[in-house]
Amino acid sequence: MIRLEGISKSFERPVLKNVDLHVPEGCLYGLIGPGASGKSVLLKIITALIRPEAGKVLIGGRDVLTMPDLELHEFRKGIGMLFQNNALFDFMTVYENIAFPMRRLLDLSEDEIRERIAERLKIVSLPGFEERMPAGLSGGQKKRIGVARATVTQAPVVLYDEPAAGLDPVTSQRIFDLLRAEQQAAGATVLMVSSDLDRMLTVTDRVGMMYRGELIFDGTTEEAYASSDPYVHQFVHGIPEGPL
Amino acid sequence: MSSTTSPSNPAMAPLRAIGGSFLAASEVVGGMGVLFGRITTRLVRLRFDRTELVTNMYKMGVKSLPIVIITAIFTGGIMVIQAAPIVQRYGAQGLLGWAAGFTTLRELGPLLTALMLSGRIGANNTAELGTMVVTEQIDALRALAIDPISFLIVPRFIAIVVTIFLSTVFSDALALIGAAYAGLAILGVDPVVFYNGVSSGLLGVGDVFHGLTKSIVFGMIMALSSCQFGIATSGGAPGVGRAVNATVVVTAAGVFVLDYLVSFAIG
Amino acid sequence: MAVPDDNASSVGQLEETGEAPRSLLGGLGALVIGALDAAKAQYSVFVKTLYFTVRGAPQKGAVVRQMYEIGNRSLVFLCVVQAFLGLIIVYQAGLQTLRVVPDLTLLGATFLELLVKDLAASICALMLATRVGAGIAAEIGSMVVTEQVDALRMCAADPVDYLIKPRFLASIIMTVVLVMVAGTVGYFAGMGSGYAFFGIAPKTFVNFSLVDFGDLTVGLTKCVAYGAAIPVVSGYCGLSTFGGSEGVGWATTRAVVNSSLTVIVLNFFISGAGFVIFGG
Repeated sequence: MIRLEGISKSFERPVLKNVDLHVPEGCLYGLIGPGASGKSVLLKIITALIRPEAGKVLIGGRDVLTMPDLELHEFRKGIGMLFQNNALFDFMTVYENIAFPMRRLLDLSEDEIRERIAERLKIVSLPGFEERMPAGLSGGQKKRIGVARATVTQAPVVLYDEPAAGLDPVTSQRIFDLLRAEQQAAGATVLMVSSDLDRMLTVTDRVGMMYRGELIFDGTTEEAYASSDPYVHQFVHGIPEGPL
Repeated sequence: MSSTTSPSNPAMAPLRAIGGSFLAASEVVGGMGVLFGRITTRLVRLRFDRTELVTNMYKMGVKSLPIVIITAIFTGGIMVIQAAPIVQRYGAQGLLGWAAGFTTLRELGPLLTALMLSGRIGANNTAELGTMVVTEQIDALRALAIDPISFLIVPRFIAIVVTIFLSTVFSDALALIGAAYAGLAILGVDPVVFYNGVSSGLLGVGDVFHGLTKSIVFGMIMALSSCQFGIATSGGAPGVGRAVNATVVVTAAGVFVLDYLVSFAIG
Repeated sequence: MAVPDDNASSVGQLEETGEAPRSLLGGLGALVIGALDAAKAQYSVFVKTLYFTVRGAPQKGAVVRQMYEIGNRSLVFLCVVQAFLGLIIVYQAGLQTLRVVPDLTLLGATFLELLVKDLAASICALMLATRVGAGIAAEIGSMVVTEQVDALRMCAADPVDYLIKPRFLASIIMTVVLVMVAGTVGYFAGMGSGYAFFGIAPKTFVNFSLVDFGDLTVGLTKCVAYGAAIPVVSGYCGLSTFGGSEGVGWATTRAVVNSSLTVIVLNFFISGAGFVIFGG
């Protein structure tokens, strides 16, 4: 479903070096790796928010990077994204935040929008939060509103950047369970990046590991745990001594 | 505030707003006064960091040059364009130099230099100090028993006042040159006639002194407000934005108010 | 994001290596290239803004909200500034005129002409460049840093359409209104100053004879041009923010500097064009 071929990108120094990645349809794919290994940049390249110097991004067989603007708008309808900092619009209520992608991307009546928002808020267990402002929410609540906004258009491809950053272990596990349930209900293809890998790996189908701008591992979650590669072994098991 | 007037009484709302802004203004002026006192005590005892002073003089002075040059030359041109109809109406070519001279030396030179540099220097200074506050660098200095006022504020204060003063001298000269050549281009006034107008008896050292005194006052208000808002920053990235905003507003308003007061006081 | 500021810092670094003459030239070249690049990017944002003004998605109430923001934030500030400006100008001009001729009857008329043609609009615009420009850059800059602008893009909402366009329209309208109000305040302050310092009777001071169609046209053109330029210039500075809370600070500073310079340069060209067209 998502296929990256030979992606390279540098910001003064190289951030991504010739990365190939394949996420099969209906798969929940977790991307792991130490800080500054290029994971977030990779997510933004998939959505063409950042343009790489070389390489191809194919989603559903279509090349994203060569699309003209109008087509790109059309294509982004098919992608939901949760940002690292949630990126909730702080001048809008929770209702308007979740309604925004539907208003821009789908052709729905106001009644349908209201219904969908109520349903989304129930799923992220924040019913009745419609009229609150993002500034008045806790970190976990903001994340969950962000998840609600990312999934409300029921896009076939969803990207999550650090869905559990800064959350306590219990909330974090709840978020991952929620993402898994969402993904299975919609049959979506999901790519997520998280540093909280113990909890993320409880829900993923496949795992890729980035290190210094390269994809050094790609396999199922079980294979990741069993891997004899020294980098992957050290990272997945959280061992202080090793090559990393 | 709400303890004295009932918050539900809508008739009192404007009064409360006025009282509130008055209190806020007093707080700003008071804060700047206290800061000025602290700066003076350290200045008198020559207790400040000299390396910081040199760094800031370089940063503020040299990097403001493009702004000063563009502003001064264009202002010289604008002045002549504005004066052109009057000059043509009365055939007063000989008075162009005098008119441009007193406008530049007494008002426009110091005023526009201060207004333009309030962005480059004042706002920049607040952004820098504000960022240091929100990233806890000031606390770190205190923990190392380094006085932030001697180390950070006094050098910046001196650098800003000196930069504004020197930039004003520079832009006075450039604006007059700009005006002289604009006069030649637009009105056909020979630059020699223009310089005679500037140096004739109608303008004196007093006019130069008048403008330069103002530039020192403007520099001080800019230095005080930018440092005050910078070190009083709170609330992360949006806080830095708010502080910068407050600095440029207070500097601009302060410059106009002081311009009037100083003009009136020294004649 | 090539901006003159970044290149200015590279001038400094080059100089410290001791190759002053060559690096100065190189720095100057870098400065010019940087300025050209920035101007090109700036121009494309302006064109995009115009495009979306005609073709963009309408947003309910966004323009009105921005008008309120701009007007409410700046009215008192602008009135205070213009009042003091009126006081100073009449005082200084009167003082200087007395050195040449003892007759101040035309002071009011000349003051009004100058106010209409230039000072009301240009000084207000310089103030708005700091007040409104800094506000816009800080707001949009924070949205960039917190990825809200990326989220807009993901929802197929162009940030120029969604963020700059409403501010652009609101700013044009409010600049005209604010200049008129603040200019009036400045005029009355000048009148008071004339009466207090030189004993010019208000009846003599109020004299519209020197204000003609050309002056009004030039004044109004300036209002519209400044009103259009400030949000575009500062919006661009906001959108090109990078790097955390520090970045927002730099973007704000840059917005103030660039929009003030834009006002000065626009003033020069509009005044010049006015002089050529209306002959003063």
